[in-house]
Amino acid sequence: MNYRLMLRTLGRTLQLEGLCLFLPALVALGYREDPRPFLYTIACVLLLGTPLSRLGCRPDFFTREGFVVVGLIWLVLSFFGALPFWFSGEFASFADCIFEIVSGFTTTGASVLTEIESLPRGILFWRSFSSWVGGVGVLIFTLAFLPKVGGRTQVLVQAESTGPVSSKLVPKTAQSSKVVYLIYFGLTLTELLALLLAGMPLYDAVVTTFATVCTGGFSVMNASVAAYGLPVCEIIITIFMLLGSLNFAVFFLIFTRRGRQVLGSDELRFFLGTVSAAVLLVFLSIYPSYGHAGRALLDSAFQVSSVISTTGFATVNYDTWPTLARCVLILVMFIGGCAGSTAGGLKCSRVLLLSRCAQRSLSRVLHPRAVKVVKLDGKAVDEDTLSTLSAFFTLFFLTMGAVTLVVSLDGFSITTTFSAALTCLSNVGPGLDMVGPAGNFAAFSTLSKLVLSFAMLVGRLEIFPILILLNPATWRRS
Amino acid sequence: MKILIVGAGKVGITLAEFLSLEDHDITIVDNDERAIQRAGNTLDVMCIKGPGGSPSVLREAGAEEADLLLATTNMDEVNMLCALTAKRMGTRYTVARIRDVVYTEDLESLRRDLDIDAVINPEYSAALEISRLLRFPAAADVDTFFRGKVEMIGIMVQNGDHIVGVPLASLFEGRRAVLFSAAQRGDEVIIPDGAFIPQAGDKLYITGTPRELAAYLRELGRVLPRIQSVFLVGGGRIAHYLAKLLLPMGVRVTIVERDEAESRRISERLPEVLVLNGDGTDEELLFSEHFTNNDAFVSLTGRDEDNLVAALYARQQGLRKVIAKCSRENYAAIGRSAGLDSVVAPKLIVVERILRIVRGFQDKSGGVMAALYRIADFGAEAAEFILQEDTPNLGKPLKDLHIRKGFLVVALLHQERVVIPSGGTVFSAGDRVIVLSHGKGLQNFRDIFEEQER
Repeated sequence: MNYRLMLRTLGRTLQLEGLCLFLPALVALGYREDPRPFLYTIACVLLLGTPLSRLGCRPDFFTREGFVVVGLIWLVLSFFGALPFWFSGEFASFADCIFEIVSGFTTTGASVLTEIESLPRGILFWRSFSSWVGGVGVLIFTLAFLPKVGGRTQVLVQAESTGPVSSKLVPKTAQSSKVVYLIYFGLTLTELLALLLAGMPLYDAVVTTFATVCTGGFSVMNASVAAYGLPVCEIIITIFMLLGSLNFAVFFLIFTRRGRQVLGSDELRFFLGTVSAAVLLVFLSIYPSYGHAGRALLDSAFQVSSVISTTGFATVNYDTWPTLARCVLILVMFIGGCAGSTAGGLKCSRVLLLSRCAQRSLSRVLHPRAVKVVKLDGKAVDEDTLSTLSAFFTLFFLTMGAVTLVVSLDGFSITTTFSAALTCLSNVGPGLDMVGPAGNFAAFSTLSKLVLSFAMLVGRLEIFPILILLNPATWRRS
Repeated sequence: MKILIVGAGKVGITLAEFLSLEDHDITIVDNDERAIQRAGNTLDVMCIKGPGGSPSVLREAGAEEADLLLATTNMDEVNMLCALTAKRMGTRYTVARIRDVVYTEDLESLRRDLDIDAVINPEYSAALEISRLLRFPAAADVDTFFRGKVEMIGIMVQNGDHIVGVPLASLFEGRRAVLFSAAQRGDEVIIPDGAFIPQAGDKLYITGTPRELAAYLRELGRVLPRIQSVFLVGGGRIAHYLAKLLLPMGVRVTIVERDEAESRRISERLPEVLVLNGDGTDEELLFSEHFTNNDAFVSLTGRDEDNLVAALYARQQGLRKVIAKCSRENYAAIGRSAGLDSVVAPKLIVVERILRIVRGFQDKSGGVMAALYRIADFGAEAAEFILQEDTPNLGKPLKDLHIRKGFLVVALLHQERVVIPSGGTVFSAGDRVIVLSHGKGLQNFRDIFEEQER
């Protein structure tokens, strides 16, 4: 493997993390808080990153290196990202810091904090900002703004972006990454303006926006979005959570006046259909106890969007809702958003393709010699892609089983254990019962926190880049 | 520039590789999932899966705004259709690969009727290149400029040549009829100055008029008599075109083809050729046909390995001129290091043509680029410019100008007269100039001068 090029890419990304850390440091200064936790970390990452980024190397770079380097970068980035939390002294253990930052970078939004509001604003800002950076991908960010990493960069994008197949928007990788980030900036600014106009205070609007467009879900309030009591804001956030879980290609096509292609997308239709069906079911389930149709509709729409987009905001403690509503929420937690978005979960296109495969297998029972091609958007999907898909599906559930087993050592209820594993692997944030919207992850043991952090990384990078690191064959010489 | 390549085969991929080095936006269309995946994994291009002849696929690939379409699938008909459809959609310039003998007979009218801007035929281009090498048997490479008025030949320097170990400046004192233009030493291509010292094993590129070059080769003791008979192994399209080029020159041609039906077809089309049905690597057959009596041996089968081995064998048997076709660059390098001086790669010849077209679209101020040649296995390029009124430094003698290192003016056509440049040479508007450089994408003539003189 080309270790020098991998280290160089790592160095580039660390430099970028250093640059990102200046922002929370400025916020800390602005609120007359101690900026030192950030300054120390900046010194660390720049001291390590700058020499690495200057390494000379051969440009050979293959899929294997791409996946390994993406996995490694996320691990290293999380380690250094946790340092400001640790230096601030607000966290009980280093495992807590790791859990919190991984939850940020992977846009999960699960927290070990019990009293969020008492924390310094700089620290909370870094927590929300980390999820914004991790949303589209740190490497894609690096490629867009610090190009010349060298080598076949498209491999990196492939390993980091979400969905069964990654497709470019424009021919050049660097250009494509830039377009993605422009869309991301656009979404962020629009939501920020909308929230400010709706009357949210500036700091809260900024951090809430960061947490929404990346479908992260970190809130600076214990009661999450419910604390503001502004229904307009809830509507705005619902819309942007849904926009954040659409494939970014949709926006690109609309801006380049190819909107008609968007309508033909199977995945988009499937996503919107699932959202509508889930909202309807939840509404029917909670309406009797609400009695107020408007509020019930807004709450069900908000919660369904929050969970399917894997954001994890809450306007209400849905843990007290009827079983039907809770089951619907758990099911959409599996599905997640669209490919090529910032959302987590299995992704709509995968679920759609898998169900089409299943349909084909069923029809083969009736017509054993039938030849059928699985299609997406009217185009045939290659059998290789389909077999990778079932491997992904299997690994997703195996990982989930393993994580559930480890977490069960802590002896909490089955609902808590299971939903904690699922919510971390799907990058949602809150689960049910003890880890529900009103609870948090503080009570888990150090082992569980580390394993759940691992699950978040596995979920965000869509399994392969992280599992490839654990495969001994990766590190063998030949 | 937005470039659309249809067909992710050998030629398509090589084109994408070279064009993406020059900062163009490239989209590749192919119907084969695997080919598309391989392209996407190795090149920074956009890949679209779908049949290239379909209008909706072309539209999705951006044919409406594309500057250039290169149709390089293995089906001539699909290529023509692609070019035609893309042109109607708004693509500015279309190039189609058409190579079937059936179509090449009436190529010009076909091209006009279908509104295709240029046709590439790798096999014909390769045949042309080989025929040039056969006409100049002492040279390992031959390129012609100004419609044959100037040639650049590559010769291998051997131990015992009088030029070994002598700096160029003292070699050419007083005589300016030929110009040492480039040297290939190992993988490195050197644009020499007066201090350059040739060594045995270098491949030297020399520019001059054909007559002066022939005289210089005689001086070096490298005269080979004219090639009168050629033995071709493999009866594919290249062999067909090559035979068609050689026969009118009075060269006797023998073709060995393995496939019987194919052999019959060749014999039908080219009755003057002696067609043998059999395996061209079979010693028995070669000797029974007295192949060593031929002046030249060219191996043109579909397999690079067979071609290289057959050529090495022919060389060992003492044939005077041996040429092998080899598409894979790593094999070509092996062939060269084993002593084959002439290895021809059809796909590279095509790439050269396309790059010439692409460069032609670009900045035209300060001198129009009229042609582009890749030499020394793509390690260097020769660009032909037509000087304009606004070209800088017109009327100044060359010895007073500061030309950047790595650039060399190797020939000049002044009022239809060839000038091999010396210190007193002066540029004037309307001149055609050949500039040699390392292939780093020279686009504008003024870039050869140092900053302050542009």
